[in-house]
Amino acid sequence: MRRALADDLAAMDEQIMAAHAQHDFPALVHLYTCAADAAELADQQDAAAFYLTHAFVFALEAGASEAAALNKRLADIGRADLLEF
Amino acid sequence: MKQSELSAVLTDVNCAKGLPNEHYISAEMFAEEKRSVIFANWSGVGFGKDIPSPGDAKPLDFLGMPIVLVRDRDGSIGVFQNTCRHRGMILIDKPQNIRGAIRCPYHSWCYSLNGALRATPHVGGPGQNKHDDINMDELGLIRIRSFVWRDVIFINVDGQAVDFEQAHGALMERWKEFDQPLHHGGDASSFKLNVKTNWKLAVENYCESYHLPWVHPGLNSYSRLEDHYNIAVRGSYSGQGTLVYRQLGDDDGKKLPDFSGLSDTWDEGAEYITFYPNVLFGVQRDHCFAIVLEPVSCGETVEHIELYYAKDEGETPEYDGLRAANAALWKTVFEEDIFVVEGMQRGRHGQLFDGGRFSPAMDGPTHNFHHWIATQIEHGRAG
Repeated sequence: MRRALADDLAAMDEQIMAAHAQHDFPALVHLYTCAADAAELADQQDAAAFYLTHAFVFALEAGASEAAALNKRLADIGRADLLEF
Repeated sequence: MKQSELSAVLTDVNCAKGLPNEHYISAEMFAEEKRSVIFANWSGVGFGKDIPSPGDAKPLDFLGMPIVLVRDRDGSIGVFQNTCRHRGMILIDKPQNIRGAIRCPYHSWCYSLNGALRATPHVGGPGQNKHDDINMDELGLIRIRSFVWRDVIFINVDGQAVDFEQAHGALMERWKEFDQPLHHGGDASSFKLNVKTNWKLAVENYCESYHLPWVHPGLNSYSRLEDHYNIAVRGSYSGQGTLVYRQLGDDDGKKLPDFSGLSDTWDEGAEYITFYPNVLFGVQRDHCFAIVLEPVSCGETVEHIELYYAKDEGETPEYDGLRAANAALWKTVFEEDIFVVEGMQRGRHGQLFDGGRFSPAMDGPTHNFHHWIATQIEHGRAG
């Protein structure tokens, strides 16, 4: 399981780096959310929270609609306070 | 630090001397005035027109202090210290539109447009975004007291000044007829002048009409010295007015539209007054202007000049030519003043100069400003 997650993330790494380079916020939110989903599937809760955090921060910065849901996911697992949007 | 002697300033204009030289050429005195004059009062820092849309943010360096002007979603303007509450990183380094939150580029702490702290990623460890000892309610951006009047953004850095309306109520009342929508004249109505002078000399020159026939001879044909009057309210404001303001017209006789509902006083009247310490305002029947003096060092000042009209630029293209001509006219006048304020700055290095004497008849407004400055400094020293 751990091996599969590493492979998934390695495959995403290039896209994430490209999104950072281009300040492509929708892509950053999407890719970090995918990474969080993959980590969650692999039962890697710390890794999932880490990626979820990044997805949330970039959504918050961009004013993206996903920010509220990402914050709720973090709050539900005790990793953030629930914010009002 | 050696303190300057101010008692000679704090007396009647007939026998007073001007502020001593060190108030113009000493870095130590510049620092004292920054604290006791600029930061302790309501000082102009910018214009609302520079952050027109919700989310617009403009960082400024105000006498070495990093601040950021922000237009919130509801249209209100907030001014914050541009420093992250975490490790002190500068938050915003260039004008931009904030779509969602202000994110610190260092560790990504995020703030809303009203300064509230919204995210502290990994603050409790990887993937843990909260910590019992980090109270987000206490760590919002430091808000600087601000007030917007006639599109000028004023701030009181030390937070101790009386309320803006109390500090400037008399002048707001004096010009209440002009308390109506202002429309910035566009790019041609915006310019800045970098001047090698202490900021106070720009105020002093602006306050009086004594110099007009000598420095602005173009005005003599219709705006003689005797057509001007002094304005000086002790402890409050000063400037000068004219009784013969003449509207600019084009070849067809067309003139700029007036502000609505003005009394007859303004048919040919105009006034030019300094909001102490650093904002110069002018009002005429058909346009207004504001000049924010940015003190850069004791011998350097940037004059930020903006012209406003009664009608929106975009809706009245037929007045583009007049607006451009009006801006050019004022630019000429303000540029004519540069050699004076720079010359007085150089003159202040004359070690035997004693601050100078005032004309009892003509320099009341200038002395009024010196008196106010000296009072602020004495207050700061007493505090």
